[in-house]
Amino acid sequence: MIKFILIVNKLGQTRLAQYYTTGLSINKRVALENEITRRCLSRKDKECSFLEFRDLKVIYRRYASLFFLVGVDEEENELGILEFIHCLVETLDKYFENVCELDLMFNIDKAYMILDEMALNGNIIETNKKNIIAPLHIIDQVSKKLK
Amino acid sequence: MSIKLHDLITKVRESSTTSGVREIISEECVQIRNAFRKEDTKNRPRNISKLIYIDFLGFPTDFGQLECLKLIAHPSYVCKRIGYLGLSVLLTENEEVLFMSTNIIRTDLASENKFIVSLALSSLGNIGSVEMLRDLAPEVEKLLKSQTAYIRKKAALAAIRTIRFVPETVDRFVGRVKSLLSDKNHGVVLGGIQLLVEILKIEPKTISEFRKLVPGLLRMLKSLVDAGYAPEYDFEGVTDPFLQVHILKLLRILGQDSKKYSNQMIDLLTQVGTSSGMNKNVENCILYESVSTILTIESPNRLRVTAINTLSKFLTGKDNNMKYVALNTLLKGVNKDSKSLKRHRKVIVRCLRDKDISIRRRALDLVFGIMNKKNVKELTQELLDCLPKAEHDFRFDITAKVCTAIEKFSPDDQWQIDTLVQVLTIGGQYIRDDVIAIMTHVTGRNQELQYYASKKLYNSLLDDRYRNQKFIQVAAWVIGEFGDILLKKSIEENEPIDPSQIIDLCQIIITSSRNDDLTKYFILNTLIKLSTRIEGYDETIQEIIKPFMKHVNIEIQQRACEYFRLFEDKELLVFSFDRIPVKDENLETQKIEEIEENSNQNSNTNTKVQENSNNQLSPNNSNNQNKKKQEENELNLMGSNINISQNQTQESSSIENLLQLDFSNNNNQNVNKQTTNTQNQQSNQSTEDFLSDIFGTNNNPNRSVNNTQNIQNNNTQNVMDILGTGKGNGTGMGRGNGIGMGLGNGTGMGRGNGTGMGRGNGTGMGRGNGTGMGRGNVNTQKKNPSAIIYNQDGLKIQMNFKLVSVNGTPAAMIQSTFTNSTQTQMTNLLFQVAVPKHLQVQMAPPSSKIIPPNNNGKVTQTFRIIKKQNIKTKLTMMTRIQYKINGMPISKQQEVKNLPLIF
Repeated sequence: MIKFILIVNKLGQTRLAQYYTTGLSINKRVALENEITRRCLSRKDKECSFLEFRDLKVIYRRYASLFFLVGVDEEENELGILEFIHCLVETLDKYFENVCELDLMFNIDKAYMILDEMALNGNIIETNKKNIIAPLHIIDQVSKKLK
Repeated sequence: MSIKLHDLITKVRESSTTSGVREIISEECVQIRNAFRKEDTKNRPRNISKLIYIDFLGFPTDFGQLECLKLIAHPSYVCKRIGYLGLSVLLTENEEVLFMSTNIIRTDLASENKFIVSLALSSLGNIGSVEMLRDLAPEVEKLLKSQTAYIRKKAALAAIRTIRFVPETVDRFVGRVKSLLSDKNHGVVLGGIQLLVEILKIEPKTISEFRKLVPGLLRMLKSLVDAGYAPEYDFEGVTDPFLQVHILKLLRILGQDSKKYSNQMIDLLTQVGTSSGMNKNVENCILYESVSTILTIESPNRLRVTAINTLSKFLTGKDNNMKYVALNTLLKGVNKDSKSLKRHRKVIVRCLRDKDISIRRRALDLVFGIMNKKNVKELTQELLDCLPKAEHDFRFDITAKVCTAIEKFSPDDQWQIDTLVQVLTIGGQYIRDDVIAIMTHVTGRNQELQYYASKKLYNSLLDDRYRNQKFIQVAAWVIGEFGDILLKKSIEENEPIDPSQIIDLCQIIITSSRNDDLTKYFILNTLIKLSTRIEGYDETIQEIIKPFMKHVNIEIQQRACEYFRLFEDKELLVFSFDRIPVKDENLETQKIEEIEENSNQNSNTNTKVQENSNNQLSPNNSNNQNKKKQEENELNLMGSNINISQNQTQESSSIENLLQLDFSNNNNQNVNKQTTNTQNQQSNQSTEDFLSDIFGTNNNPNRSVNNTQNIQNNNTQNVMDILGTGKGNGTGMGRGNGIGMGLGNGTGMGRGNGTGMGRGNGTGMGRGNGTGMGRGNVNTQKKNPSAIIYNQDGLKIQMNFKLVSVNGTPAAMIQSTFTNSTQTQMTNLLFQVAVPKHLQVQMAPPSSKIIPPNNNGKVTQTFRIIKKQNIKTKLTMMTRIQYKINGMPISKQQEVKNLPLIF
């Protein structure tokens, strides 16, 4: 099961955070994010994309200035999660057309929608890019009409 | 005036300092609060999105939670979307807000707009609380049958959360899974598989029913594997790898422990294992999953060998990710496939030297996994070679593994000592504390090596006395313990060591400021032991010890004082520091058995008692005593220092006579108990004693009914006199106890308690516990009142009360007994008691945190209530009981009144 999905930039600032575990206070969360990000940032390119942290595994991948970090428990297929991260990035790229950090910041709600379409409650649910984006396009059209 | 999210972000980005950012944010928060207060509905979505941004920056945003509720109640989709998003991001632990949202979510689940339903399902799946999920389970079940695949897949995931949090709803969903698995939409199937995996976790009994799905799953997997290019789900030439991985995972669970269904899977698994390439991550991902499945299910040997070979190919490759997963998976197959793993040992060992810490960690686990008596020398050497280059954190892991290897797989004792010394030299500061115990064990067991070990340690300490602290401590212990052997044998071997050299070395170490206090305790012990082992150096040693009587560290000071006084009675001194008896291998297991026996209330207590008493009267007896003594001595090493060996032959000393007297009395008591008392009470008694001894009570009226006990008490005070310490103060009492107990001890338990306490709390406790055993008159117990204070959900708590007196103040000694009549064991037991202000409560730890099921044994916890003011009332108290059953935490609080005890 996926415990959290984080997107941070290379300065360690959180750009998106989705937790699938409850009961984490904001202070603990900030501390956790800082610690994990610090460790991931200090790793070299050639080292493997997995990091053991407390009782969970963090699987991370870097895309330009953004790091995508996914925390999982023992049962998850690590390579599968790497593929999932790639799929997430491709989907964001497809929707935002050449996604960058600012796109995520200004359209955080859209980014969350994409994530919610792809994963829910720590489980992967949809990996077909078209299916993921379809609801967003419908909503975009509707809100355009409203304006 | 409300600014846009866009502007806020720009503003924050323009600010260069953190304090600047903080200022902007706090200003903005004020604005947002004002807007909320004014019920500014127009800007509400914008404000919430700003709060989400602020939340990412790490500032508190909980004031926005209620606004999110207002947003999700809004009919418009755009508002709802932001509202739900805010709810899932901003909500931390506030269950109330969540609960309030239940009804809104219920309405949304019934909406005709599929996007609104999906929003509600998503947030239910992401943040739903237990109450919410229980309330909404029927709705989720209904949505599993929805016409739209989009809703079905999300409902499946919401169902996963529902059964995870509210396991009793599982029956609702069991029947729905099959239809989900035969769905055409990949997303729905994926959801269905994950739901099934979760159901199997909660309700393992259903597995036989679901095993029937195996052929269908295999067909599905085959069609995915064989499928040509499918644009919808294509990932670099592989069709829907996520679905494939999940099917493989499910097959793994279904095939485990079932030969029949495993056989059905073999052909396809072979195909998956051989057909896919190993170039792309996607391919490897499926290969990896299929290998794990092959290793878990009942597959034939040739398939397992192929699987392991595949993993070894991963290991030799350049991709670090592959190495990592391969090591991880090999660990799973360690038990079943040790033969085929053997061939890959070199590859695995090479990974220990990898640059990547994640890989090294995995490799370490695996190396330890394949370790056995034959290869332990070689593999341990590999581990030791890695040690100096390893990172700080990693060194702890390595030394821990090496120590375990030394204990577990050692081929011979000499190797054990050599390796211990080696690991101490290289990584002493990273070693866990019980390395000393290993050393005591091995040197105690093998007398021939006592000289070897002490000489080796002495020489290397002489070479470089600024070694790490752990090294010095172990060396100090060994030299102190076997000093006489060291000297004697060295003369035989014509390389005589002069006693003064050893003592000088000790002096240098103890006076050096580089060494910490713990090391100094050890050296003090070494010195005092040497004084009994070597003739003619008493004065020198006294001179060394003397300055430490004024040492700033209270423990050192106390030890120095006590040792110094002990010189006045050389007989007692020799007696106290006699060599530690050989430790029995089966000690720990026997101990545990004993305790288990004691706690086993239901079975025939009579026979048990008989057995026990036989035990104590038979020759075994002395052996038992020995062991116990040894434990105490070991304890001594850590925390306290005065101990009187019991198995010495006694001469004229009055103390020793008493010892014998008391001793035999114990045995008699045991025989008496056969008829009157159960073994249980015996153990009760010892725990109580343990407690009261900690607090330094010797004038316990209940206990002193017995004559011998009385004498023992007197005797304790005598010893206190010998030591010349004041009775009044805390340490004085602690000490008195220590000896009193050393004398009085017959048998007993409380060893587990013992070590923990002894170590943690320095003197008083360490000693208190060394003894804890002087059993008083058990008979009085019979009259003591008892009450059942709690009997719910299969957990029963019974309390036995006993009036005692602590230093003249009346106190109640209460022993609570926990029994569990359910089918499953209760874990993480925590029992707390609060009493009115005029009372004071002191609790001992429970005998175990786990209550075995079916009334099959019990857990006891003893506590004392002491009166602070002299008010005579019926005893009342507040209790809180917490435990976990089936992983579900349960917490109950209740007031206990009408207890049958007035005090």
